[in-house]
Amino acid sequence: MSDRYAIAEKLNVPLAIVGEAGEVKWTNDAFDETFGDDATHWLKEAARAVAGEAGWLHGFFLDADEHRSMDVEIEGRTYRVDRVGNPSDFEPNAVALSFEDVTRQREMEQAKSDFTSMIVHDLRGPLSGIQGTLEFVLAQEGNRLDAMYTDLLQEAQRESERMMNLINELLDFSKIQSGNFTVEGEPVRVAGVLKRAVRSLQSVASRDEIFLLNAHGRDVPQIIGSVEKLTQAIINLISNSLKFTPKRGLISVGAQIVRAGELPEAIVITVTDSGMGIKAQELQQVWEKYKQSGNKSLRGGGGTGLGLYIVKQIVEAHGGEVSVASIEGVGTSMVLKLPVKRAA
Amino acid sequence: MSTAPVASPKPEWSRLVADSLRQNGVWHTWYKLAEARQAYPDDLTLRGYCEIVRNEIVRQLLQSPKGLQSIPRLSPEFLTNFDRFNLNAQEGYLVSLIDGRLDLQKLVLLSPFDQFTTLFVLAKLAYERAITVPQ
Repeated sequence: MSDRYAIAEKLNVPLAIVGEAGEVKWTNDAFDETFGDDATHWLKEAARAVAGEAGWLHGFFLDADEHRSMDVEIEGRTYRVDRVGNPSDFEPNAVALSFEDVTRQREMEQAKSDFTSMIVHDLRGPLSGIQGTLEFVLAQEGNRLDAMYTDLLQEAQRESERMMNLINELLDFSKIQSGNFTVEGEPVRVAGVLKRAVRSLQSVASRDEIFLLNAHGRDVPQIIGSVEKLTQAIINLISNSLKFTPKRGLISVGAQIVRAGELPEAIVITVTDSGMGIKAQELQQVWEKYKQSGNKSLRGGGGTGLGLYIVKQIVEAHGGEVSVASIEGVGTSMVLKLPVKRAA
Repeated sequence: MSTAPVASPKPEWSRLVADSLRQNGVWHTWYKLAEARQAYPDDLTLRGYCEIVRNEIVRQLLQSPKGLQSIPRLSPEFLTNFDRFNLNAQEGYLVSLIDGRLDLQKLVLLSPFDQFTTLFVLAKLAYERAITVPQ
């Protein structure tokens, strides 16, 4: 054995050099202590394709230049496996892997996510009650409240809507974090989703004197996915635009079909506003979690910084991609591309 | 000696579009972007910039104090020399609805096209001076 493995031999992190078929070529002491002889068995299993799907080990042999890391279940525990090199003194098809036990970390994340989820559910109940009461009082015919009280109640209604949005974002975020964020495979009428999202925010737009318009026909093809989550994604985008669009501004919600020959291949959805725009240096970060625009919202209050991150997760769960265009002082367009999947 | 094809870098749309809007206005920018779409059909960001400019065109149409209550009228130029205007089917249909009484709101309701497309086509007709929309 080469001398340069002497240090690796004594490291506390389990390390192994493994061939493409899962054969163990070298291990350090920490690896042997952690996994013992069983490793030869599960590494072979990790290399084996099951039902046409390659085992997790295969992923580490795909691109030698790209850093690879994945969490895998090994004998009831979760390990983060990293490729730490391609040792040249073994045959070319061997990789050096490190194994970090992240079971506890995962359990903590799950506990945190469960806790957030529970708190958020508990907050939603009473808040729905407050919203219902405010709506009832404000909707009474012959309401004799003087203008000042009406304004105050409307303000309370706006703030309760904002709080409900924040709570819903936290709930979605906790689902994403816990891995419980799945997309149903139902047919989705995209035109219907866009119309519903526009309709649900039309009163808010009118109240703020903003034009909110549909910019798509009825001939938008169906996709496979989740009606509920896509509606939520579009509502998040429109809500975001409403925050940054001044009075007498315009928000349009469009859909275009991308064709491959005659057949529709994808749908590009755009939510475009005539708001203040986003600085060029902030454009690439808008989809990241906890990122908020440096611009101040025109409608008061900040958000969780999770809205656009959730939109991106929803779109990616549908096999799509997101993009953003913006010109300061002119407006912003959020672009979602969703593939049109056809039955085989 | 053959060389591998080098992908041309994507233009810096944000700066290009902002400069063009400032120097040439919305319609010139829109036509340039429509050309660029042919050259970069897969560029999602470019689609976003096209939408920003379209949105700005319609926003400008709605900026009059009357907004959607503005009543468009056929221009004298159109009435005397309509052959000069090479209208497509959408434009022709909307022109046929303009009677000097229907406002933008009603035209949007009567139009078979979506709200935004209807207003965009009307803005184009106004830009080409086929109709006038009081500002």
